[in-house]
Amino acid sequence: MARSVIRRSIATPVLLSLLLVAFALVAWAAGSKPFNQTIIDIFLKVIFVVGLWVFIGNSGVISFGHTAFACLGGYVAAWTTIKPMLKATSMPGLPDWLMQTEIPYWAAAAVGAGWAALWALIFGAVLMRLSGIAASIATFAMLAMVNSIYSNWESVTAATSSVVGIPIVRSVWPYLIAAILAVVIAWAYGISRYGLALRAARDEPTAAAASGVDIPRMRLIAFVVSGAIMGMGGALYANSIGIVTPDTFYLGLTFITLSMLVVGGMGSLSGAVLGVLILSTLIQVLRWLEAGVKIGTSTFALPGGVQEIALGAVMILILMFRPAGIMGNRELTLPRAGSDKPGRAGPNT
Amino acid sequence: MRKLLLTVLAASTCLAAPVLADDDKIVVGFATAETGFMQAYDKPAQDAAMIRIKEINDAGGLLGKQIEVVNADTKTDRAEGAKAGLSVIDEGADLVVVSCDYDFGSPAALAAESSGLVSFFLCAESIKAGIQGVGPHSFSASVLAAVQGATMAEWAYNKKNARTFYRLLDTWTEYNKGICDGFDWMLPQLADAKLVGEDTFLNEDASIAAQITRIKSLPQEPDAIMLCTMMPGAVSAIKQIRAAGINSMILNGSGVDGSYWLSAVPDLSNFYVPVQGSIYGDDPNPDVTAFNAKYKEATGGDPSTQYVYPGYVMIDVWAKAVERAGTTDADAVVAELEKMKDEPTLFGPRTFTSELHHQNQARYLIVETNAGKPAVVDQWTISKPIPVADLMK
Repeated sequence: MARSVIRRSIATPVLLSLLLVAFALVAWAAGSKPFNQTIIDIFLKVIFVVGLWVFIGNSGVISFGHTAFACLGGYVAAWTTIKPMLKATSMPGLPDWLMQTEIPYWAAAAVGAGWAALWALIFGAVLMRLSGIAASIATFAMLAMVNSIYSNWESVTAATSSVVGIPIVRSVWPYLIAAILAVVIAWAYGISRYGLALRAARDEPTAAAASGVDIPRMRLIAFVVSGAIMGMGGALYANSIGIVTPDTFYLGLTFITLSMLVVGGMGSLSGAVLGVLILSTLIQVLRWLEAGVKIGTSTFALPGGVQEIALGAVMILILMFRPAGIMGNRELTLPRAGSDKPGRAGPNT
Repeated sequence: MRKLLLTVLAASTCLAAPVLADDDKIVVGFATAETGFMQAYDKPAQDAAMIRIKEINDAGGLLGKQIEVVNADTKTDRAEGAKAGLSVIDEGADLVVVSCDYDFGSPAALAAESSGLVSFFLCAESIKAGIQGVGPHSFSASVLAAVQGATMAEWAYNKKNARTFYRLLDTWTEYNKGICDGFDWMLPQLADAKLVGEDTFLNEDASIAAQITRIKSLPQEPDAIMLCTMMPGAVSAIKQIRAAGINSMILNGSGVDGSYWLSAVPDLSNFYVPVQGSIYGDDPNPDVTAFNAKYKEATGGDPSTQYVYPGYVMIDVWAKAVERAGTTDADAVVAELEKMKDEPTLFGPRTFTSELHHQNQARYLIVETNAGKPAVVDQWTISKPIPVADLMK
């Protein structure tokens, strides 16, 4: 049975990974530094949104707080990858053993994931007992709390000042691998019995509970897995630009990732990934138009700031015509990927 | 999906070919904010930089080559800032100019640093905007915030006989803290000057009544209040202090320069601000007034604050260093910049050392606002530079 589930759904992560590889190849072929950075940015968003999906998509509870886990991960990268000498001046309050630690960025991403998962477990143990809007508001409070602590704990996080000295990784491949890893983890979680039980609880809480599903526990598992993915993304984000500040991981990032998820389709992993790819591509095209495009001899350019407005308009249009997002509840699959359902894509649940 | 890929491919080919560094021109890349709130800070300084570039080009260029300018918008966003930096580097920039503020400029400056290029912050006033926070090829065109606090303390002590000081710090930004740090460093060096009290508030506080009560309850009104704050909260704080009947002289940093907000505090008097150059048409150096006219011609308006000027200084000192080095090679240019000691510029002498790519001592003009009218009344250079160790606290 388990094998057949894997066989039936393996096409989704494979296709999504191939799509991500295609983006990476385009960046590699273009050979332009800013474009490369744009693709890195897109991969980071893929990680964040997939992380969000693991919880929101499967539990149906909208979380406004996941950016907090990215913040936790980002500061782990700062604590563990900056040279000890630099750390001593910017964050003198770190414990001695941490002050002397200097590990490579990929290890920092793993530690960041673990640190975020630990806090997801602690917060989640309390928050996951709530349901619906109360849980959403509580996650938001968690974000505000983490942000407040990181903005004020001067000796450990340098408060609101930028923490610099994080080694910058400008190659696109590590981010590609991390994004694919996130997709695979999310897929594996989605087809696991925990994922299935949580989706059952999302759609029919009473029936699920009657069938022996421990809803808070199932939610907690999803919360921890998604927290870990967000933590990994946060650490890599720090490595992509070389600085972290608490306000990087606050409302701006929360809302852009949530809207990417909503536009793509909250109910499907493909929606999460495609939402990022489509909106990011759109943002990029609008940026180029803002910067000016040469048509013949004259340059055509949109006035600055149009990008944000156009993005908002497009998102409204998508949600008007596809209220469940671009993908709705469907996943990308091959036409005949051993599915017993007809058509290109079968319902997820 | 196929359509999506095609779009991406098509889009990326538009961008694919980077412009290679040309030998018959010198490129200055501006990775600054063209949109978002930082635009208000970046644009004026950048306009001033463009004026200096035009002057150089009109005079035959730099090393016999014309200076060309490329731009990329940071959108007042850090991740976009990194891209903007990389983008101007790809377009062959020999000098990367980044946003005014350290937090928003550093991603682009770090990109320049890792490509081994010289970067200049347009007007950052934190010590981190330079060697300490970016690397050995990074500079700032302005003067450290701490120098402003130190200047005001020493000047008020010597010229206004101020002996009792009150320190009121708005803890919102590093800039504010920097001003008060400079004040704190200077005060113990002034014989029989005394700090009679200190307090903090937050820029967004609607009321600072509690702080004002504490000033009022002092046995004697302090001679001077060192107010370390910036816009927009500064206006409300000043208004409340004066409305409470406190007439002590108020000392500030350069962040409150400009007459645009004075109508909010009618007939403000006994109010002092340090500036690098005067926007009020009364600069002791007539060339500054001439520059103001040029600026008006280029942009259609007078400079609104002194933060226009660092942009001009930046291109000025960099071009001199390039001229002396005979090349735009980053290490050679940095070496020449570090040789500058009291290099004359339109806005006072500038010094760079291998330890500090920023000004820890500078000539400031003192602007006094009297009955709502600001005017230059004096100038002051602190008696000795602030040691780097004290700045790094």
